Amino acid sequence: MSFAPALHAEWIKIRTLRSLLGALAAILVATAAFSALAATDADDSDPLFSVFFGINFGQVAAIAFGTTAVASEFRGGALRLTLSAVPDRGRWFVAKATAIALPALAVGLLTGFVTLLVGRSVLGASAPGWSAGLRGAVGCGVHLTLMALFAAGLATVLRSGMATLSVLIPFLLIVSFVVGDLSGGVADFLPDRAGQVALHSGWDGTLGPWSGLAVTALWAAAALLAGAWSLRRRDV
Amino acid sequence: MTSIDVRELTKEYGGRRVVDGLDFSVRPGRVTGFLGPNGAGKSTTFRLLLGLDRPTAGTATIGGEAYPRLREPLRRVGALLDAGAAHGSRTARDHLLALAASNRVPARRVDTVLEETGLAAVARRRVRTYSLGMRQRLGIAAALLGDPEVVLLDEPANGLDPEGIIWIRALLRRLAAEGRTVLVSSHLMGETAAFADHLLILGRGRLLADTPVREFIHARVRPHVRIRTTDPAALSDLLARHGHDASRDEAGTWIVRHTRVDDLGRLMSEAGVPVLELATREATLEEAYLDLTASETEFTAPPQEA
Repeated sequence: MSFAPALHAEWIKIRTLRSLLGALAAILVATAAFSALAATDADDSDPLFSVFFGINFGQVAAIAFGTTAVASEFRGGALRLTLSAVPDRGRWFVAKATAIALPALAVGLLTGFVTLLVGRSVLGASAPGWSAGLRGAVGCGVHLTLMALFAAGLATVLRSGMATLSVLIPFLLIVSFVVGDLSGGVADFLPDRAGQVALHSGWDGTLGPWSGLAVTALWAAAALLAGAWSLRRRDV
Repeated sequence: MTSIDVRELTKEYGGRRVVDGLDFSVRPGRVTGFLGPNGAGKSTTFRLLLGLDRPTAGTATIGGEAYPRLREPLRRVGALLDAGAAHGSRTARDHLLALAASNRVPARRVDTVLEETGLAAVARRRVRTYSLGMRQRLGIAAALLGDPEVVLLDEPANGLDPEGIIWIRALLRRLAAEGRTVLVSSHLMGETAAFADHLLILGRGRLLADTPVREFIHARVRPHVRIRTTDPAALSDLLARHGHDASRDEAGTWIVRHTRVDDLGRLMSEAGVPVLELATREATLEEAYLDLTASETEFTAPPQEA
């Protein structure tokens, strides 16, 4: 049995749940709106991040999207029905992750460009240049996708949306925020911090924009591998 | 012809044997009832059959193949496990469309099974608005989606209204008549006897009986006759003279074992014993089942006075 039917089924599941479409819309709205708000009050120290400041809110929506898409399988025996239709768990999980990644990337890139255009019009003369702006827009899309996948992997391990969000949201809002301000070195390698280097005009840490995204990609890959391993090993 | 073959199937959870050395086959063209008290291991057996749980020992195959090795399995095997499997925020139609896509089942089958299960009118409503009975019908629709030759239904009558019970009986009979292999679990003997041709009876993970329904009834159900009369002395005398095994409760009702109303009625009429009531006891099938599974029920409630 080929991969395409499994992917098709997972895509139908995503587009037919209003909460998932809502989360995708929230990625765009939250990022663009909070960026525009922040840009009205920005200084000149980091013009690119003045444009993309809202990603801190957008990535919460991305996490909600990845978590909800997976968590819906862990209620009411839904996964039993899913795996009785696609018994190859590895293939099913790749299909699920792809069905999460593709719309997240599309919406993420759209968010990046919309946010860039909005930010440039708000900032006017102090706006970042086009080459930095493009890097930021692409980085924004990739980072949001990776955060959705990171959450999806974690939700598969924890088998619950509630548990996943109770881990990730405090982590983003408190741990990463506080630890990030306290110590430079290690905190730069946290999943949400590393990927966001691409959204700053300059960087002084170990990670640059692309190596930062690579670190976040490693986090996402690790979470997905853990999810795949848990899925393979356990009875459902 | 697709049979289900279970060989020495065993499943342990933390050292507890939930399924214990099961050995049976389910043949096509008839409805096989999978009976047992709650907790007997019926649902676990279904999950093992579908490759959702891994057996501790033994094998379960469908048409000679382990389920996870089937190509596009919904086209070969349809199963109802959990009535809650459909997401409450999705419509029934979208739920089935996603399932159909995963096995390249044509989308028109979705409308066919919605029609067949009486859900066509509510197909575009969110599943959360459904009653338990409607969710069961949706689960059955999902099982029939791929037009499978093997149908596995776990407690399909759960939550169905009387009309739904009649419908599912007819559906099961039809599926078997079409030559499909039909395995249906239930904890209710009477209900199962109404549609099954063959019985597999399970208690505490072990197979207690593998028998045609008719033989089970014949071997296990002893005919009892209930009699009430205004002349107990004459009746007692009559029964004793003909060597009947009879007993009388405080309310004055006689129970006569191993006999039929036809015989007793004639005897009483000939002897001129007045009759207030003369009836075959109906509950005996259920009793035979309870008798068989009683020692195997894990959580036996203390007997209650009726």
